[in-house]
Parts: sequence; C-alpha cells; structure tokens
Amino acid sequence: MVGVGFRRDFAADIISGKHITPDFIEFAPENWMHIGGNWKKILHQVVEKYPVLCHGLSLSVGSPEDLDRDFLRHVKQFLEDYRVQIYSEHLSYSKCDNAHMYDLLPIPFRMDAVRHIAARIRQVQDFLQRPLVMEIVSYYTPVAAEMSEADFIGEVVRQSGCQLLLDVNNIYVNAFNHQYNAREFIQQLPLDKVAYIHMAGHTQVSQDLIIDTHGEPVIDPVYDLFEWTIQYLKPVPVLLERDFNIPEMQELQQELNRLKTICQKQWTSQNELVA
Amino acid sequence: MNLLPDTYRIQQRFSAYCRSGNAVKLPGVTPGRLKHYRRLVFNVINDIMEDGFPVAFHHIPARKWNKMVKDFFTHHACQSYQVWKLPLEFYTYAVEQNWEEVYGIPYLNDLLAFEWAETEVYNMEDIPAAPFQQGGNWLETPLVLNPEYRLLAFRYPVHLHGDATELVQGKGAWFVLLYRDPETGNVQFTDLSPWLAFVTEQLAVGITLKDILEYAPQLGITLTDTLERDTLAFLQQMQRQHFVLGFQS
Repeated sequence: MVGVGFRRDFAADIISGKHITPDFIEFAPENWMHIGGNWKKILHQVVEKYPVLCHGLSLSVGSPEDLDRDFLRHVKQFLEDYRVQIYSEHLSYSKCDNAHMYDLLPIPFRMDAVRHIAARIRQVQDFLQRPLVMEIVSYYTPVAAEMSEADFIGEVVRQSGCQLLLDVNNIYVNAFNHQYNAREFIQQLPLDKVAYIHMAGHTQVSQDLIIDTHGEPVIDPVYDLFEWTIQYLKPVPVLLERDFNIPEMQELQQELNRLKTICQKQWTSQNELVA
Repeated sequence: MNLLPDTYRIQQRFSAYCRSGNAVKLPGVTPGRLKHYRRLVFNVINDIMEDGFPVAFHHIPARKWNKMVKDFFTHHACQSYQVWKLPLEFYTYAVEQNWEEVYGIPYLNDLLAFEWAETEVYNMEDIPAAPFQQGGNWLETPLVLNPEYRLLAFRYPVHLHGDATELVQGKGAWFVLLYRDPETGNVQFTDLSPWLAFVTEQLAVGITLKDILEYAPQLGITLTDTLERDTLAFLQQMQRQHFVLGFQS
C-alpha cells in the first residue's frame, strides 16, 4: 500500500481520484477533530473512499510533564469514529512548561529520557488499546546526548513495546546533518518493529545542513536508501508526504508510482523467496 | 517521573529558547544549529497568525506585527493542541495586554475578534437546529434560527472598512451577525442596527417577534408600523439567506 498525506490544498483532487489514486490517506487527527461544516463533509467523503492512517502532532510523548489525558480521550474517540488503522506519533517533544510549540524538538539521548518516554508510550498504548507507531524524527542538533541515537531508539522500542515509523528521508537528513552512514544506522535499528514508512522531500539550506521541509519531490538518493532499506523489512504501508509547494497531482502520482514499483520489486521477490 | 532534574531542565531551557529566542547555553549542541529551531518554531507561529488574521496582518506595520507575535509566543503558554484555534489565544492575549493602547491601534480588538469569528464559525462543530416547519405566523410563532452563528458588538466598523482613518472616524455602536450557510458551508456576515441585533438576540432564546416588538418602547424605540414592517422584511430576507430556518414545530 502506498498512500499520500491528505492536505486541504488538494482535498478535492484526492476525493475525485481523477489525477491521483493513493491506496490510503494519512492525516493528523488534530487538524480534523472537533471540526464541522465544509471540512467535516470533506472528511467524511475522503474516509468513505480511502483507508485512513493517522499521524499525530500534539501528543508530545517526549515532554517532561504529564500526558494530556483530555487530548488522548479525544484522540481515542476520533480513531474509533473514523476506523483509523494505524496511529503514529513522533519520538520528540512539542510541549514544555505547559506550552505547545507546534514543532518537533529533539529529546536528549539519555537513559532517564528513555525510561520516561517508554513509560509514557506504555500509558498511551494502554489507554488507546492499540500499539503506538513512533517516528524517528529529523533533528538538526543533538542536545546533551549521553548515548547514541540508535541505542536511544532501540531502548525506547524495547522498553515500551512500541512499533517504529521509519521515515527514510529523516534518516537521510540526519545522516547528512550529523555525518554518519545512513545504512549503518538503519542496520542498528530493530527493523522487525517497523510498521510504517514515510517518504518525503527536503531542502538543503547550507553546505552542511538539510531541513526536513516536505516541500520538494523525493530525491534519488532517498529513493535508493528506501529501496535498500525495504529489502530488510516485511511489507508495510508507505506514505508520500508533501506539505508545501504542492505540485500538480500528476507529479505526485508519479512519485506514488515510483514508490509502488520499488515496493513491488523488493517485496514481491522477498515473498517469492519465502514461498 | 523517570526523568532526572538535569534532563528536565535541559528540555525546559531548549523550549524556552525556541519561544523567546533569548540566547541559551546547552550541553552537546552542534554550533550554529540551535538558531534553526528558533527560526522554524517561530515561523510556524507567525504563519498561523498571518493566516488567522489576514486583514490585521495586512494593515498593521510589519515592525509592530512582529513585536506582537514575538511578545505573544514568548510570554503566553499556547494551550490549544489544534493550531486553527491558536488565533483565539492571540486575540485574548491582545485584549489582556491592552494592545490597543500599547500599539496605538484603537480598533485592534474589534478587528481581531471579527477575523477570529470568521474562522471559528467556518470551522466550528456542527450544531443541530431545533425542529422547525416552513409555515407559521411571523409575529406569534417562535422562529428557529440557524444555530451556527455569532452576534458581535464592535466600537469600530471593522466589518465594513479596512482603512484605518475610516475605522477611527466610524467609532460608534456596531453590530455584526456572522453565520455559516448550511448549504454552502461558507460564512456570511451582515451589518445589523442595534434594534435588529436586539431582535436577533431575543429570537435566539425563543421570544416571539410580537413580544419583542412590545418591548421596543422600553428601549426608547417608538413602536410603529414601519418598525414592524422593516423588522419582518429583515427576517424574511434572512430566511432567504438561510439564517432564519423556519417556525418552531
């Protein structure tokens, strides 16, 4: 399954299915909860037409403070109402001192942070009665790290029992920004826990820094990394994210087609080997 | 809590830096990279406010606008987990901080309130209307109004003018009805006289037009055939525009 991030900018195109036909769509529950009027009608139309996966923005699992129980209750209801198949979130924090920041801040790679986050993920999973799929985020600087990023992620997965969202572009961006080998990094991850993949474009802002903008097409080296990576994975849903600088739908469809071709190539041959 | 105080403090200092931009020293950061977080985070907030208040953003000088957004984000702990609701917090903060006087923009509160109301009415959760029928007595049957509306009172005609001079010269008592058209989902707004604002407010709580008209003298309004005729004409017009839905059944 290869899907696309559902955005209001091209909602009508997704619903019409004329120029773009994803296998599923993904959106942030926060952007669609407690909404009425036109947007609610559009939400119902799209949910009737496509399977839905949700990718949260405001859970802030890495926050130092308590989880927002009221928010979680609304999320749970929303996921049930719209029969959402996967709920993923970010391995980062976006709220601190009781203030939302609406962006993803890097968590210190430390063992006490691992224990703290793992406990919070377990609480969320218990409450939602479903596994949480945690995305490895892009980051532009580590902060007060006492362990490697791969160890940090591995420990969070091990202690929480969560699944992983592997954003291949994020790994590419992080490897570039922090000068490590993306393939070696991926090989250190608990790949059997990968339940979902994201693909996106980025913007290089200086000689040594890439920002994860989701505003450009996916570049060839990221496709290469994706193709290399999925040979180690069981088949999982793959999402194309495009949040800004939205192109013609035919262009997005071409990207979906390319991803689909790679999936078929890698995962079909994998299945043949198993058979 | 498994988090050690040191890690907690580091996360607090990082997020405080993102909110204020005030220099901070954090262990183990790559030189020159922290500023990107401040830029990215602040851009998100700035974009939300520009999108939420396009008219205010257009009319307020950039220097003042930037100062407002920075002040808001630094000192206000944003509470909404839904970004589309954040402009309400900005508007509320502006009122609390008396920005009208601080920035010398006397119509600021009205303008922010009007722009927020448009967003709110467009996005608000669906509200079921009370049962109604198409026919009834305009004077004696309680009317059923479209429940997806806001009735606002302004000192400046921010719904009619964009020019600062016209706004200041138009200081007075202004009333605006915003509602979501149930067929198109679009927000309509209409300027109301004080009398029609009063009528709308009373109709919304189930008072009949006959009773409202009888109350007019207590408001200092002479009850005339014209008043009744004009009020009826307004309500019939609002029925055609899907604000008056029908008659209580």
